[in-house]
Order: sequence, then C-alpha cells, then structure tokens
Amino acid sequence: MIKKHLSGYVILILLFSSNHAMSASDKDINTLRSEIQNMKQLYEGKIAELESKLDKVKENQDKSIAITNSTGKRKALGKTFNPSIGLILNGKYNQFSSGSSEIAGFAVGHEGERSREGFTVDHTEFNFSASIDDKFFGSITSAIAEHEGKTETELEEAFIQTLPGFGLPNGMSIKAGRAFWTLGYLNEHHSHTDDFADRPLPYRIFLNEGYNDDGVQISYVLPTDLYVEVGAGGFRGDDFPFGSAAETGIGAWSAFGRVGGDISNNQSWRLGASIVSGEADGSRTSNEDLLTYTGDTDLYVADVRYTYAPTGNGREKELILQGEYFSREEDGIYADSEASTGNVIFDNSSSGWYGQAVYKFNPRWRLGARYSQMNPANVPSGLVGSMLDANGHDPKAYSVMVDWTNSEFSRVRFQYNQEELTEGIDDSQFTIQYVMSFGAHAAHKY
Amino acid sequence: MRRFFALILVGIILLTSHLAQAEVKIFACEPEWEALAKEIGGKNVKTFSATHAKQDPHHIRARPSLISKARNANIIFCSGADLEIGWLPILLQKASSSVQPGEIGYLMAADYVPILEKLSQVDRSMGDVHPKGNAHVHLNPHNILLVAKELTRRLKIIDEPNNNFYQAQLDNFLSRWGTAISNWEKNDFSAKKLKLVVHHKSFSYLFDWLNIKAVASLEPKPGIAPTTKYLQSLLINLKHKPANLIVRTPYEPSDASEWLSDKLKIRAIVLPYTINGDKESDNLFKLFDRTVSLLQEVNYD
Repeated sequence: MIKKHLSGYVILILLFSSNHAMSASDKDINTLRSEIQNMKQLYEGKIAELESKLDKVKENQDKSIAITNSTGKRKALGKTFNPSIGLILNGKYNQFSSGSSEIAGFAVGHEGERSREGFTVDHTEFNFSASIDDKFFGSITSAIAEHEGKTETELEEAFIQTLPGFGLPNGMSIKAGRAFWTLGYLNEHHSHTDDFADRPLPYRIFLNEGYNDDGVQISYVLPTDLYVEVGAGGFRGDDFPFGSAAETGIGAWSAFGRVGGDISNNQSWRLGASIVSGEADGSRTSNEDLLTYTGDTDLYVADVRYTYAPTGNGREKELILQGEYFSREEDGIYADSEASTGNVIFDNSSSGWYGQAVYKFNPRWRLGARYSQMNPANVPSGLVGSMLDANGHDPKAYSVMVDWTNSEFSRVRFQYNQEELTEGIDDSQFTIQYVMSFGAHAAHKY
Repeated sequence: MRRFFALILVGIILLTSHLAQAEVKIFACEPEWEALAKEIGGKNVKTFSATHAKQDPHHIRARPSLISKARNANIIFCSGADLEIGWLPILLQKASSSVQPGEIGYLMAADYVPILEKLSQVDRSMGDVHPKGNAHVHLNPHNILLVAKELTRRLKIIDEPNNNFYQAQLDNFLSRWGTAISNWEKNDFSAKKLKLVVHHKSFSYLFDWLNIKAVASLEPKPGIAPTTKYLQSLLINLKHKPANLIVRTPYEPSDASEWLSDKLKIRAIVLPYTINGDKESDNLFKLFDRTVSLLQEVNYD
C-alpha cells in the first residue's frame, strides 16, 4: 500500500521537476532526469528494504538464529536431534529347490552361506549416530540376527570419525573403531541399501558379506575438480578374509583410490581400486569349522559404478550399472578335517566378479539383473577331494529382482536366483523381502 | 608406484598454490541460489550449482563430483529447512571446517526468511514432511532480498578486501529487484478466481506472495508419488470444488497432471520454478517475469 502511494509521489515529483526544468538547457534536463531516476530507484529499493526488515523483525520474534564461530559447541551434522536413532526392519521368505548349497572350491564363512529357508527375520539393525562435539562424529550399528536357533547380537559398526572441525587439512578424515571399511563398492554400505536381497558371490565368499574388522582408516579427498580420494587403513586382522589375530599389533592393512565425475548433466560415474592384505596368525575357520587356513591373504578389488537419469530427475527414472572384480592370493596352510587332508601348503590365487544393472522405470518400481561368477584356485595334490577342490566347476549365480518402493523408508522386493555353486547342483531360489526403516535415516552414499 | 605418488604430490602442490589466489567458491545446492550468488558476487565469485531445473532437489545422489565441489567450496549456499537432508550431510563430511553448520560458509536461505507450513507434530505417515516447514522459499521475491543481504554480509567477511565491491553489488541489485517487485505486484491475482492444483507443495511461497489459492495437490501426501486411486478420488472432489489450472515444476513427471487436465478439461502448465526451468527463465528477474506472466495468462483468460 505504502509503496503505491510513494511511487505516486515519485511520479508527481518527476512531473514537477520536468515542468520546472523546461527553461533549462538539454544537458541540465538530462542531469536532472538521471538524478530523478536514481532517486526513484533508491526509493523503491529502500522501501523494499524496509519491508523486508519488517518481515525479518517479525520472523526473529519466534526464532533465534545465532551464527557463531564459537568452538566447543555441540553441532549436529545435518541432524536436529542428538543422537539420531534409526532402526531397520528386514524380513524374508525364502524358498529353495535344492537341499544343499555348498560352494565348490572355497572356504566360506557363516555369513556367506545362503539364508535360511522359509520365513526369516534377517538382520534387524539399530543405529545411533551423532556429532560428539565439534571435532568428532560417532556411530554405532548393531544387528540382531538368528544363528542356529540362537539370537545373537552383532556389533557391526562402532566408530568415531574426525569432523572437519578437528583441524586436519581440508578433505582429510580419520575413522577409528569398527566399521565397514572402504573396500570396493558394496563393502562400506549396509546391506539394507543393497539392490538385491543377497550379496553377490564374491562378497559372500571373499568377505563373508563384508569386511568390518577393528582398526583405523585415513582418507583424503584431493583439492581437484575431478573427484579423487585416496586412503589407507591398518586393522587387527581379525575378520574374514583374515583369521583370528594371535598377537597384538596390526594384522592387516588396506589402501584405496577412487576417481569419479559427471558426464554431461545426467550421468555420473566412479571407479575405484583397493587392496586389503593381512595374515591369519591364528587360524581362520570356515565351512562350519571344518576347514582351517593359516597364512597370508591379499585381496585386490576393482569397482565401477555408473548412474544415468534419462529425464534428469533420478527419482523418476534411473539406470544404475555396477560391477566389481576381486582377485585373491593366499599363501599359507589349509586343512580340511572332514576329508582328513592334514596340513597342506597352499600358494595360489582365485578370483570372482559380478555385474548388475538396475533400472527404475517408475518412481516406485525397479527391475534388476545380476550375474556373479567365481574362479576357484587350482588345488595342490594334497587337497584333491577336499572342500577346496571344485572339480573344474566355476560357481555362478544369476539373479533377477523387482522391487517396489513406497517411500524412501519402505521397500518390498521379489527376487529369483539360479545358483550353480557346485557341479551338478542347481538351486532355484525365490525370495520375498521387505526392508523398512524408521527413526533417523542417514543420507545415502553414492 | 613411487612415481605415481610423486605425481599426485606435485599435483596437490600445484593445485593448492592455485587455490590461494582464486575467487570465493560458492557451492549452491539449487540453481536459484547460484543465480543470486552471481548477482551479488559478480566477477569475484566462482559458482557451481549441484542441481539443475530438471532435478528434484529432495532426491539427489551425493555423487563424486559433488563431493569434490563441496570440498573446495568457501560457501555452501542452499535452501535449508531439511530440503537437502538426503545428500548434503555426506558432502559436508568431506568439506572444509568453515562451511559446517553454524559457520560463516554455511548459508541456508530458510534460516533468514519467514517459513510457511511449519508443523508442530510430524509423523512419517504424513509423508515426507519436515517439521522445519516448507523449504521452497525462493519463489517469494521478498525472500530473495533477505537472503541477498545475508549472502552479502557473509561475502564481506570471507573476502574482506572486496568489501566495498559486494556492498555496491548489493545496492545495485536491491534497487533493480525493488523495481522489479513493484512491477510484479502490479498484477493483481486476488480479485480473480485462480484456483490451482499443484503437484507437490513447491510453490507455496509464490502463492502466498501473490494471494493465489492452491486447492489440491496431486501427491496424496508430500513426497509420495500420485497413485491412480488417489487421483480418482481427487477427480471426484474437484468436480464439486472446481479448479482452473494445474501447475507443476519442470522436474515433476507430467502423467498425473496431464491425466487430470484431460479429465477436468482445464489447463496443465509447467511453471519454470527455478533458473532455466524453461528457456526464457535464465536469470532471477526473468524467472519471476515468466512465472507471473504464465499465471496472468490464465487469470485473464
């Protein structure tokens, strides 16, 4: 209202001034005109400014925002509540065509075995996380799972991480405790964010689903325009693919590098390479404690991920391609107590890979296909006929899935697997899975 | 291997020395804030927008390119009010200490404007709602003014030697923006009966400013995609309570609004929503010019 009046005055002044200036020279007229123009703009600017000041005063009455640089203040990392608490409910119904699901040629840990048949409540996860103060972030994830009729609580993650306020160079961060460490693509992700109901074969076999040893890791994002991140870690060497650490000290170490970027507006990619290397001074037991290994293990991983949103809006339609290649070298001693092989010297390498494509064709529906394959090592004569002898068979698995996402907090998935893990045994698997979360829901990594 | 590391080291040194003399780097979460940063910062800032008009700012992947851009930024400039909660926290983890929440380089527009649709009680069954209120604050031009001033204040502190430059840029912008606002406000929407159906509550600030009424939303609940069942019931409701225009943003899918438009025989249009939301809207002034004129077209039909 006020504004309209004022602009009226400005026009009046303008009229008056131009009349008054009639007798003056052209130059004077122009000068006056521009002055008036300036005045007019200034006025309107000031009015708008006043109005907005008024708005601001009103706003500030019920709100106080302090921009401070004070240290020692508790600052939430993108979360209002401290701590943020989240729960993941994860249940499945599985149906398998084959009674057994041995994986030929490999030492397989408990988590790497196929899921239970029938109804099963898979890992129920609890997560607490918060910025501890201005320098540290902490997070705990524990899972309740059932194993052979017993309910077990697993401490999946319990780590602290330096925040940028800690004072390390920009882009550098240290994480310590127990965590799903940076290794390949899937390892640092919780399985509830996976695109399939089960992990691909190389994860089940080489990492017993995921590597979450106790240790410390440093990472650094380079100050480049292209995303480049490098890092390294030192660990206890207590988790698959390593055995129980017999002594104190660092039993395993890792290194990784990643690059990534965008291609035009709607595509992005990331490439990574990692190594984790360690020794099992104590022995690593697997295959229901029938197989033991003592020795060195080097695991090399290459991973690639590509996302494409055809319409620009990835929430509507999106294609995700992802693949990882693993190569493992083992130098130690294997013993198969079932086949009574005794201790056999083993120095050989095996590998495995998977590739998958997931297409979101509608905001709620996605389709996916995955292929995984393993290439077992050639066994020394002492292990012929043991669990490590694949008889020339390469375990492989085909999977297709379709999932329905009601919101970012609930998802239901149907999956069909065709697994050929041992010579002559084909297992058709059908799974219905739900994954739901409530409470705080951490932002997802790329 | 050793040569490779040496090469990386040299690269780091070269880049860091380059950084020291560079402009203020502004990482904007949305194109509207990038445009504002350009208005105020002019030649002294280097801007980057994490999203473009075809992307839904709620749902962005914390993709590698964003991590590196945020890591190098001096100011992270976003809508705030949890709009970017799904991806910004990950970027901040690897960004510098001066752009963390509460610091000078962390600028959330929603902290400086009056917020609409604040909720005292929030339950996930209400959809993807945020207790902090509606975060799409930029479509009220008075909010742009408020945020422009806060941005200037920050720039003057971060890049002190250019203090006067930023003040002059702000004064210039305020006067042009003030004039533009009075022009837009000459359009009177309150007298006419513009009744809109929106896709998501993305235009609440625009409608609040122009006194326009949104009568329904195509999403059954905020953030929940339209379902056939819900659209059917909406159709019945709208027959009793007529609407005369359906609007959506460039990133929202067209199927639901086209379907309803066909059934109700009313127009469905895309409002540009942000910079480059259509080919005319390539700066803040043109974004509002275009938005107001698109609505005016229907208003005086």
